[in-house]
Amino acid sequence: MSVVARLSANVRRQGEGLDLALPYLLLAPAVLFAFAVLVYPIWDGIRASTMSYRYGKAVGWVGFDNYTRLWSDPQFLNALWVTVSFVALAVAFETVLGLALALFCANEFRGVRLLRGILIIPMVITPVVVAIVFRLIYASDAGMLTVVSQSLGGGPVEILGHPARAFLGLVALDVWEWTPLEFLILLAGIQSLPVEPFEAARVDGASPWRVLLDHTLPMLKPVLAIAIVLRTIDAFGTFDQVFVLTRGGPGEATKLLSIYGYDTAFKFQDTGYAAALFVTMGLLILAAALAAVRIMKGMTPP
Amino acid sequence: MSAVTFSGVEKSFGSVAALRSLDLAVPDHAFLALLGPSGCGKTTALRILAGLELPTAGKVSIGDRDVTRLQPRDRDIAMVFQSYALYPHMTVYDNIRYPLRIRNMSESECRKKVTDVAATLEIGHLLDRFPRQLSGGQRQRIALARAIVRDPAAFLMDEPLSNLDARLRMTMRGEIKRLCHSLGTTTLYVTHDQAEALTMADLVAVMRDGVLQQVAPPAEIYDQPANRFVATFVGVPPMNVLPVEFGRDGIQVAGGVLGLSDDRRTACLKAGVSDVGIRPEDVELVAPNQPNALNGEVYVVEPMGNETLVDVRVSTGRLVVRTRRGFTAAIGSAAGVAFDTHNACFFDAQGLTRVHRAPSKGGE
Ligand SMILES: Nc1ncnc2c1ncn2[C@@H]1O[C@H](COP(=O)(O)OP(=O)(O)OP(=O)(O)O)[C@@H](O)[C@H]1O
Ligand SMILES: [Mg+2]
Repeated sequence: MSVVARLSANVRRQGEGLDLALPYLLLAPAVLFAFAVLVYPIWDGIRASTMSYRYGKAVGWVGFDNYTRLWSDPQFLNALWVTVSFVALAVAFETVLGLALALFCANEFRGVRLLRGILIIPMVITPVVVAIVFRLIYASDAGMLTVVSQSLGGGPVEILGHPARAFLGLVALDVWEWTPLEFLILLAGIQSLPVEPFEAARVDGASPWRVLLDHTLPMLKPVLAIAIVLRTIDAFGTFDQVFVLTRGGPGEATKLLSIYGYDTAFKFQDTGYAAALFVTMGLLILAAALAAVRIMKGMTPP
Repeated sequence: MSAVTFSGVEKSFGSVAALRSLDLAVPDHAFLALLGPSGCGKTTALRILAGLELPTAGKVSIGDRDVTRLQPRDRDIAMVFQSYALYPHMTVYDNIRYPLRIRNMSESECRKKVTDVAATLEIGHLLDRFPRQLSGGQRQRIALARAIVRDPAAFLMDEPLSNLDARLRMTMRGEIKRLCHSLGTTTLYVTHDQAEALTMADLVAVMRDGVLQQVAPPAEIYDQPANRFVATFVGVPPMNVLPVEFGRDGIQVAGGVLGLSDDRRTACLKAGVSDVGIRPEDVELVAPNQPNALNGEVYVVEPMGNETLVDVRVSTGRLVVRTRRGFTAAIGSAAGVAFDTHNACFFDAQGLTRVHRAPSKGGE
């Protein structure tokens, strides 16, 4: 028998019976698990969004009625608007601030390691705890802001009871908590940039400002885009802090989609409508993320 | 007004001393090649001059300005980095144009300059590409173009031709030399290729382990090396160095006796000379067992096309002889070698040259 023939016989024997099935058998538990915790809930949510519920019980199939209802529901449109402005404002601040801190901490100086460590702390605190701490700061009777204001001779500071200030207060909380994430991603990005082009730019006559605009930012674009997309997706789903601080109030001023959806599902027991809301929200985020990735691809040279 | 001067410049990285008290002056308009083996501190010297590294001690000046503590952008120099340091996010065109853009040059003027430089360096067809789409040699030429597109007080070039193929390197060598000459810009050119240093430079500075060994015009570096290191680092193949003893009628090298004039002999004895050095082209092959010649054995014969190199082993070492094209000899055959001791130089035990090659008496 020639060598080639013997080898191919071997191959055939190897591909028989258990050998063929083994990879699939090994994969099966993981696939089942993924189905149970990922695919099934999503599927169930989509199914629920096409049903009508009364007192928490499904009473019939209504097709896309829940979805069409959303777009004529002023509360939903308001929640969508509040969410989009919250996300835009928070992520913008977080990115600019995170970038500034990252640029500063990318330099080597005494104590920079400690500073980097301290800057990450807000991110690792449990969100609900952060919210409680901020409630202590914002409280109008004995909150920190009021105490400081009074010691300076001013009056009590009303934050959470005032629509615009409550909204900005939540943005401030989000910025405090999540700027560290942007900082961390961007710091890693900056530190992985090559050193030589920056030296070349300095020799070529660029001022620090020009170096930032002409080199740092363009080279950082992909990382910057990832940081922004990541934060945007995450900010869309903000819930705990708002729930603890304002529950969406005063009025509808801080009613994010997540809070409105929660109310719909658990206060008004309109599970189908809430499911439609969350599926829509998921699709919006997905569309935004895809658009962002598209733009990112367009920005990076071939 | 843009002579470049290092005065007592030292640089250490932790416990590594990269430069030990460098004193070096490049006169205005001169082209100085900084030559030395890998790791001797050439790049460090350039980086200090560019302002990318602070010297541990000493002073650097360009023209009559002390620039030791100045930012790179205030020094008015253009540099070609050993690692190219191109801007990865810019096209080749934008890379080359960048220093002009920083200086707010008009777009039409930029375009003209960039196109001219690109034509000189044969990279005109690459202008729309990004650096990562280029070969090493192409990138190197972009880096070179980005430097010479400007009109700075000084050019600093860190092995700008190291990655080119032999033909292109020869061409570029000539182009850079012409360009620097016509611009009249003071140039500090780092290389470890001694042929580049000798062919391009007005002045060659040889460094070793952070210590400057000699600064002189190329011919002087070649003919009157200050020490054994310079003698053997410059020249291909390098100078032959063999231990020498002084007998009654001349010098004894590897068992052979060679004549030596009286005044050179006195000078040698006074200086405590221990080795003799002779360039391959100054050595002749003769028949074995001749008077005034050393005897050895042919180790290998290397035809180079225009000449032949013959490696001869003698009792105390080896001698490379450069001889006519077409020369042949069997490996292992006996050979005699002889040279005129006027063309030799003599080193003491520390490696310093104590007696130089006598002034040329025609021929070489
Ligand atoms: N940033 C640094 N940290 C520590 N040591 C360094 C640093 N830069 C250079 N050195 C050391 O200083 C010495 C001189 O380095 P340099 O880069 O100047 O050599 P070079 O002459 O340019 O060599 P090559 O021809 O290989 O480029 C080397 O021993 C090197 O290891
Ligand atoms: Mg180097």
